[in-house]
Amino acid sequence: MRRQVAPHFMITKINVTPIIDVALVLVIILLVTAPLMSVADLPVDLPQARTREAEDERNVSITLSSTGRLAVDDKMISSEDLGAYLRSKLSMHENQNVLVVVRADSGAPYEAVRHLLSQAKAAGASRLAIATRQKTESTR
Amino acid sequence: MRRYTRGKRVPEGIHDVNMTPLIDVSLVLVVILMITTPMAFQSGIQIRNAATSGRSAAEKVRTERIEITVVSADSVIVNRNLILRSGLSGMLRPLLALSATKTVVVRCNDKVPHGSFVSVLDEAKSCGAAQIAVIGG
Repeated sequence: MRRQVAPHFMITKINVTPIIDVALVLVIILLVTAPLMSVADLPVDLPQARTREAEDERNVSITLSSTGRLAVDDKMISSEDLGAYLRSKLSMHENQNVLVVVRADSGAPYEAVRHLLSQAKAAGASRLAIATRQKTESTR
Repeated sequence: MRRYTRGKRVPEGIHDVNMTPLIDVSLVLVVILMITTPMAFQSGIQIRNAATSGRSAAEKVRTERIEITVVSADSVIVNRNLILRSGLSGMLRPLLALSATKTVVVRCNDKVPHGSFVSVLDEAKSCGAAQIAVIGG
């Protein structure tokens, strides 16, 4: 006689695994895009460099665009207010010993970058870096 | 999978095409693309101590000090020798090999484009400089 399948072997619950799976992927997407949102949307052609360091780290970025406009993280700022704003930003408890990254356009004169570096230094930045774009094999 | 009970076909409960794995895989591909291409565009060169410690680095013993002045996009001065920009790595490599601290002090003319300045920093790094100090910041 053929054995019948007992009804309690049937899976009657809703399978939540795919939902959790997709939700986790969405969380990863948000985690990846969150640092991108913290940079101002200004046209900046970063200088290319082969070496790389000082990345994947929380930082305060100062952006100097090709048009000469300034931004600290995602906030647009005038050059007169930069020093005061940076000082208040770097005095925050969570920004102690934070890396300050200068994202300047490759065509900007060094004088402007030097000015930004000295202002960051005066505002209390202890660690400074210059943002670059990774040079790939084809662009060498 | 179809089940048979006493020879009769039992219809399954879910008839729709399961889209979840497709969405899942495409989202994973999106994440991979996001990480590999656009996120790789920004890296950085760390200046250990831009202004003040640049000066302190400049005060180090002269034999250990490698000083680069970027005069223009095409010419640099390495330890008081004016050379072409293209010859920088050839000059820096032996100097850095002899240096104990491997510290390079960089000065730059105000009119030089930022891109040229960074390319000098990059070349110093790739030649083996452990620490870069910028004077005049």
